[in-house]
Amino acid sequence: MNKCKNMLMYRENGQWIYWGILFFLCLGSLIFVNYNYSFYDRPIAQVIEISDERQVEVTDGSQNHDTVYTQSLVATIKNGEEKGQQLELTNEYSDSRAYHPKLSKGDDVFVSIEQTNTDKLVGSMLDMKRDQALLIVAWIFIFVLLAVGRKQGLFAMISLVVNALIIAYALELYIDTSNISLLFIMSGAVIVMTILSLLFVSGFQEQTYAAIISTLLGTFMLLFITVLVLWLTDEQGLRFEEMAFLSRPPQAIFMAGVLVGALGAVMDIGVSMASSLFSLYEKNNEISIKDLRESGIEIGKDIMGTMTNILFFAYVSGTIPSLLLYLMNDASLGFTLSMNLSLELTRALAGGIGIVLTIPIGLYTTILFIHRKQVKS
Amino acid sequence: MNTLVVLAIVLLLLMAAIGGKKGVRSFVALFVNFFVLLVAVLIMTDPYADPIVLTLIACAIISCVTLFFINEVNSKTKTAFISTLVTTVLMLLFIFIVTEQSMIHGFGEEEVEEQTIYSYYLGIDFVKIAASVIIMSTIGAITDEAIAVSSPMFEIHKHNPSISRKALFLAGMRIGKDLLGTNANTLFFAFFGGYLALLIRYKDLEYTLGEIVNTKIFSAEMMTILCGGIGVALIIPITAWITAYVLTRR
Repeated sequence: MNKCKNMLMYRENGQWIYWGILFFLCLGSLIFVNYNYSFYDRPIAQVIEISDERQVEVTDGSQNHDTVYTQSLVATIKNGEEKGQQLELTNEYSDSRAYHPKLSKGDDVFVSIEQTNTDKLVGSMLDMKRDQALLIVAWIFIFVLLAVGRKQGLFAMISLVVNALIIAYALELYIDTSNISLLFIMSGAVIVMTILSLLFVSGFQEQTYAAIISTLLGTFMLLFITVLVLWLTDEQGLRFEEMAFLSRPPQAIFMAGVLVGALGAVMDIGVSMASSLFSLYEKNNEISIKDLRESGIEIGKDIMGTMTNILFFAYVSGTIPSLLLYLMNDASLGFTLSMNLSLELTRALAGGIGIVLTIPIGLYTTILFIHRKQVKS
Repeated sequence: MNTLVVLAIVLLLLMAAIGGKKGVRSFVALFVNFFVLLVAVLIMTDPYADPIVLTLIACAIISCVTLFFINEVNSKTKTAFISTLVTTVLMLLFIFIVTEQSMIHGFGEEEVEEQTIYSYYLGIDFVKIAASVIIMSTIGAITDEAIAVSSPMFEIHKHNPSISRKALFLAGMRIGKDLLGTNANTLFFAFFGGYLALLIRYKDLEYTLGEIVNTKIFSAEMMTILCGGIGVALIIPITAWITAYVLTRR
């Protein structure tokens, strides 16, 4: 009893140390980004005064009304050779703030310094310094995930970081060796990420292997079907111009994106099928294949609707600002939709196909594993 | 034939073959949701319509469709619906502050350079629209998690009606925690897949890490990932609490 209590105390102490370390890391990193100006090569200035602000009403060709403000600002340069000197800046923003933001006192901005002939420097604003805000939200993310999920929250974050690193490494590899196709490299990355993530979630056991096999089969089936449909229909209706900013052939990059984008959802289905069927088997070792199949289909029916929905909104929502831009510039609805949504909808539909396919694949793969166990025993 | 039409037909056939009636309903729900999103966007073009209010209404309808149409109207889906609404309101407030502070609203340099023929003086508030984009990207995941947490809690209560509110809440938290990892993963990969092209562009143009982190588009996408993660975590205690409260009222 006493020993138990001691262990509990120890655990509580451990928790305190753990939260304490996190808290100091958080504080330290926040202080760091607040004073990290010297780590940047581009000049950064901090707004200290808004000396003048003028406003003009404008109406564009499509009868949209807006107000454009021109701010004259005084800022102090925070890094580089001119550090400490004052700089005059102008910034133009509109009420809709569709491009430049409204600046206020204390904001950090990246600037270009244009003249150095007189004692006063003149510059123009390039972009905001956003690392601070990003870091704050990242810490909120970390604390919320740890507070709610504890160990599972930590695991979710570790797998996020690991997978992001694998993808970054794969891209690096692609850019350095431009003769290997991106789809090929990403397929390799998909295999590595699936195995790592699923082992991480449920450890070395039969149901993990079943989940890994069904995820990989599902993902590559989805890739195969999508490539086949794109080839058969000659990519009709797909607007690859949307990706025109790339200096590379967009098709391959798009397909790699489809593959990676659907992977999370397909993994989710693979895990759900394997773990729920295995738990049925553990409750009743003699369970018949027919019963397993029926329960599996029921589980699949329940998850496929919501899973396709998740993917759909994750992809399509990002286009809202461009949809608005096109529509308010009097582009027709049909043109607006096909220009902005064709690729996103393809992604969502391809992902949906992957999700639905993985249900029977997961079902039969898991049944195979369970059957093997039943025969053995 | 149009690629999208063929893909949609393939999806419909697969859903019908595997999911039967429920599969067809799921497919129809996708289209209804798409239509809701589109109508919301069309109304947003009116400068007098508030994008935040519109987003809230759209999210409510979308989660209604997902919960009540694909599943059915019962006490499980109703509690899931209320939990989704509460979480959406909280997240919208948080995201609005985040977008305003980090100034990730509007279009990035890359996008503006590309579409120079368009006017950007549109008279609608892009700060609010940025917030609406982030919450809309995660509404699917939030709704899914709400029903996944509340439904087994009802089962637990059915098998053990005398369970205390606190024990029920903790059971809900445990269920939610197990889902957190895979659900967050689904969202993360979906976003990664969408951002691949952008990352390749940054690498091709040899941006330094410092430059990438501060660009508008990259930080907006990081914020979407982070807020998505916060959303799928936050829905767990909210659903667990609301469901525990509803079940042990009296």
